[in-house]
Order: sequence, then C-alpha cells, then structure tokens
Amino acid sequence: MKKILAILMAGVLTATAFAGCGGETSNASSGSSSNSGSSSNATGVNSSTVDYAYFGEEDNVKLKVWAPDAAVNLVKKQIEEFKKTYSEKTFDITVVAQGESDAATQMLNDASAAADVFSFPSDQLNKLVDAGVIAPVAKGFKDYVTSENSEDTIKAGTLKNSDGEDTLYAYPETNDNGYYMVYDNTVVTEEDAKTLEGTLAACKKAGKKFIFDAGDGFYACTFAFTAGAKIDGLEDDGITQKFVEYDEDEAVKTLQAFAKLIKEYKGTFTSLNVKNVASGFKNGTCGAGIDGSWDTKVNQDSLGDKFGAAKLPTINVDGEDKQLISMFGYKYIGVNGSSKYPNSAQILALYLSGEECQKQRTEELGWGPSNLNVQKDKIVTESAVLNAIKDQSQNSCTQVNIASTFWTPMGNLGNKLVADEWNPDDADATRKLLKDTIANVRDEG
Amino acid sequence: MIKSYKLRRHVANGLIYLILAILGIIWISPFVYLVMHSFRAEGLIAVDDYLIPHEWTLQNYIDLFTGAGGNASINFPRWFLNTFVVAIFSCIISTVSVLMVSYAFSRLRFKSRKKFMNVGMILGMFPGFMTMIAIYYLLKAMNLTGTLVALVICYSCGAGLGFQISKGFFDTIPRALDEAATIDGATKNQIFWKIILPMSKPIVVYTVLTSFIGPWTDFILAKIIMGDNLDNYTVAIGLQKMLSNDFINTYYKQFLAGSVVVAVPITLLFLKMQKYYVEGVTAGGVKG
Repeated sequence: MKKILAILMAGVLTATAFAGCGGETSNASSGSSSNSGSSSNATGVNSSTVDYAYFGEEDNVKLKVWAPDAAVNLVKKQIEEFKKTYSEKTFDITVVAQGESDAATQMLNDASAAADVFSFPSDQLNKLVDAGVIAPVAKGFKDYVTSENSEDTIKAGTLKNSDGEDTLYAYPETNDNGYYMVYDNTVVTEEDAKTLEGTLAACKKAGKKFIFDAGDGFYACTFAFTAGAKIDGLEDDGITQKFVEYDEDEAVKTLQAFAKLIKEYKGTFTSLNVKNVASGFKNGTCGAGIDGSWDTKVNQDSLGDKFGAAKLPTINVDGEDKQLISMFGYKYIGVNGSSKYPNSAQILALYLSGEECQKQRTEELGWGPSNLNVQKDKIVTESAVLNAIKDQSQNSCTQVNIASTFWTPMGNLGNKLVADEWNPDDADATRKLLKDTIANVRDEG
Repeated sequence: MIKSYKLRRHVANGLIYLILAILGIIWISPFVYLVMHSFRAEGLIAVDDYLIPHEWTLQNYIDLFTGAGGNASINFPRWFLNTFVVAIFSCIISTVSVLMVSYAFSRLRFKSRKKFMNVGMILGMFPGFMTMIAIYYLLKAMNLTGTLVALVICYSCGAGLGFQISKGFFDTIPRALDEAATIDGATKNQIFWKIILPMSKPIVVYTVLTSFIGPWTDFILAKIIMGDNLDNYTVAIGLQKMLSNDFINTYYKQFLAGSVVVAVPITLLFLKMQKYYVEGVTAGGVKG
C-alpha cells in the first residue's frame, strides 16, 4: 500500500513539473506567432522616430524594459523623451535593472514575464532565436537599421529564421563588447603597452600585478586565437563549433611562448577575475590588466589621471611579434516575441537604438556605438578607450554563433598554461593540450 | 607510559582541547573574515594578499542603509523589510498549522490517520525544488508572481508536513490530561489551546525559530518567484544580486556588511528563545 501511494505521489509531482515545462513551450510558440503581427507595416522608415500609423491600434501601452544597472537612469531619461516624441499615445513604461549576461536565461525562463524590450550581448542571439522568444526587427524598420549601423553588427545580428531566410533579429546597440588592456600609466608606458613582454617587465619592475583571467574561457580563448585556432561560426549541424584551418606547429610554438612568458613573470602575471583589476588599481597592487568595456568606468574612477588604455599587446614568438587575438562581440536591443504591444515595443527598440540615444550612451556611459554617424563623432574618435576597443576589434573573432561547449575547454586551456606545474618546454604536452581543447570544444572527446 | 593518573588526564584533556580548538577555529574563521572585511575601507572587491584589513570604517554599513554611492536598483533596507514581513507572516501561519497538524495526528484517532502520516512523510522526502516550476506556473495563473504574498504562501502552506517532531513532543504529554479535561467538559479545540499548547513552550519555540529562519535563508524559490521585481526581493536574492557583474565593484563590501546585518534578527530571536530551543529539540526527539 505504502509503495503504491509513494509511486502515485511521485507520479503526480512529476506530472505537475512537466505541466510547468509545457506552459513554457506554449508561451514561446505563442510568442513567435505574434511576431508576424508586428511587421504588418512594411513600407519602411527613414528615421528612428516613426509615423503614428506604425503603432496600429495600440494605445495605453504598457512596456517593460531591461537595461544593465549602469544604464538604467539614462534609459529612463531617454524614455521620457520617447514619450514626448509620441505625445498622442499614453505609455506606462518601466525600466528594470537586469544584467545583460543574464538576459537570455531570464527570457527563456518565462518570456511572458520578461521585458518587452531588452538588451543582450551577441552570443546569446542564437539561443533566443532557437527558443523563438525574440521577435525579428520589424520589416519596415529593417532597411533603415541596416543602413544606420556598422556592417559587422548587422551581419552578426542576422540569422536564418525557421524558413531559412536571413533575418535581422535585433537592433544593434553597441560595437564594443570586448576586452582590451588597461594600465596605470605611471607603471606602464605607452611603448611598454605595445608588447606583452614590455608590459609584464614594467609591472614586475614596479612590483605590481598584471591581471588576466586565464580561467575564464571568454578571456582564455585569446591563447587559442592568437595561436591561430580561430573560430568560424558553427558547422552545418548548428551545434558544433567550426575552426579555421591552422598551422599546428606554429600554434604549439605560440602556446609555448605564452607559457614561457607566464612562467618567467610568475608572481607578476596573475590569473584573477577581471573584477580584481579595478580593485587592484584602487589599492595600488595592479599595474595593468585585461578588462572589458563594461568595467571602463570603474577602472577610470580607480585610476583617475593615471588611466591608460590600449589594444591587447603583442607576444614575441620566435622573434616575430604576434598580435593577441581576442573575442569581440556586440550588444543588441531585442524585442520580446510575446510582447502584448509588439508594435510599440519595436518602435521603442528602434528609438533606443537610434543615433541620438547611442550618442547619449557614448557620452554618459562610454559605450562604443554601432551607429555609423556616431562612430564618426569626435567623442568616439578622440576617446582612448574606444580607439583601443576599435583597434582590438580588428584583431578578434566575433562573439556570435558560439557553441555552448566552447567556454569550459578554453578556460581549461588557460588554467593549464598558467599552472605552476606546466612545463613550457614540453612541446608534445602542449600539442596534446591544444588538440584536446579543440576536440572538447567540438565535443569529440 | 605515564604513570601519574593526574598527568595522564591533563595530557589527554590538553589534546582534546587542542583538537577542539582547531575545529573551532576552522568553523569560526569564515565568520570572522566576513565580519572583519565588512569593516574594510580599502579595495573594491576581495583582497587576496592579506587577511586583516588595513583600514577600518563603518562606511559600508552606512552605504548599505542609505543607498549612497550606488544605483537605485539596490535597496537593501527595503529588502530587509520585505524579508522581515514575510518571515513574520510565514512564521505565524506555519507555526499554527504545524502545531495543529501535530496535535491532530497525536491526539485524534480517525480513519486513515496512519496513511495520511505516511503520505506526509513521503511528500516531505521530495526535494523542495522538484515542484518549483509547477509552483511558479500555479502562482502565475493566480497572478501572484513577484509578490510577497506568494512567498508567504510558499513558505507556510506546506509547513504542516513537518509535523513529526512536534507530534513526537505531543506524544510525550500524558493523555490523562486530555481525559481529565474532557471530563471537565472541554472540547478537543479547547484542549489544544488551553491545555496542550501552554505545556508545549519548547516545541512552539522550536517551530517559531525554524519557520522564521526559512525566509532569510531561502534562495532558489524566492529567486524564481521574484524574477526581475527588484522591489520585492528578499535579502538572500538581493545579496546575491550585489555580487552580479553589474554590481560587484560597487557593492562587494556592502554585500559583506549586508550578510552580517542579516544575521542580526535571527541571532536576536535565537538568544531570546535559546533556553527553550535546546529543550524543544531534545524533548521532541525522545519519542518520535
């Protein structure tokens, strides 16, 4: 009797759990069906503000916007402007702080409870598209958005939809989602910052640390990319990471050069979370570090006048200076496919990704714009940070179409190379490590 | 061999104390670290070169409660209040329901009493997060996601299933008391409130404590229910939010301070009720 009851209870509970999952899928599918409704006006616009006709029947619009915490106040201001622009309609728009790194996860948890308009980094795009929770850019807006933003951001934001057509899924927001080198210019000179050797030597001389997060695949893939093992989207199966053809001997040599340098500067080269860079600048223990654009502001605050920025340095491999290749992505503004006010959400996303808003974000937050006109503005061309990011973006792999199996093996590669017991002179072990890493990324191991 | 008994005892005791001291240090060091660094002035996030802060300050606590130096989305006083309110309500509801269920199982004899107890046991054995998605969608259907009411419901409604310990305690109270009261004309209800409950202080305290602590420590359920509704966060998810990428640089030290502050209400309640607590746990365990 007890057993039967137990099985019964277990059955009931499993059933309810599945019911939960069922709810989610049905939400997602209803989301994608409302996509088509939002793109009914297919005449095309030529500015980030549009005609009232694009709203369709929508009025008394209630929208939720997700923005990273640092941007919340600015987005609120921009939304006030948005309301003024469309003063004939009434809006109730809330802005909620939601980290971009988490955006896709939160969207997939329950799209109907998520924001109508949200910003996210480029690598999350396929997840969002696969789950059908993101609405493509409205047909009428697509040409305008394409003409206004840099080609790379449009290319990375375009994926094939379920019918196999190329579809632009999100509005480009920034062209800066990557890491570069920040340094204390009293420790590292501009000349030193050009080479990894110079930077490390300068840090060592001053008794300060060089911080690089070798345990995180996002940063550690620099080792593999610089060695030549660059990524090239996904295989046709849509899940396996594709790598470009590369010279294995050369790659092994490069990895050995890294390991040698790390060993030589043990104590100076430290593998720590990037958040330690700003902290280290503040208490004077860090001389230079590799950190992302999102930490620019806090790094600047910590260093004040001593702040220096440069693209990633070069490393000397057999007498030849090789540029470090990084992972580089973009940020987008997406529209929730299950938004109750799809047209208004599209119009708001268009507005927020428009030239004026991008310029304000560059001025106030230091974000690198994707908008071509803002890119030409002198606040961008004269910014050391944005120039460093731009230079680095030319030496990078695009953070789009990344297999979910990519990060951990890359982090493992980094951890191995910086480990005390790693022998930089052992070419065979290095070769095996590289091969294993690639095999694990491709899930062949 | 040491001949003197006295000496031998001293050596043995010394060894035991040494081991206990080491264990004690291991156990308490995270707390000491936490408290120390919540007063740290320098650095932004963890400092990895040394353990004892160089400069001391109260600023982290002040910032935590005034919200100075950060963005509006982090609102610790509000989260603290939320948690406190949820804790109070779920504490009252679950204490009452646990005690009533235990009383019924201990004193009343009804059909399938045993079966109900078994079902209760079995349900209690499933891990809580198994039903979490179901709970989320049920709450969503009721339009309660992101509200504090939802939390109170979740924390207190299943509480009756944890009847075992209090039932064990009630079983130790002689039935003769019930019988005497019945002869005097008391109903079952009156017996519970007027006879059994006043005699069960230890177990009441135990139940109050456990159900009060729940909301302060629960993370997963609160996280799922609250989603992005920052205003209704509890301290557990709020503190975790402080460690997310967007916030960690500004809020790491406030996070440490917040963790210390969270311990305050629980500690106070515990100190106040401590002498009953030990009694309650042992008494309930005598006859389970």
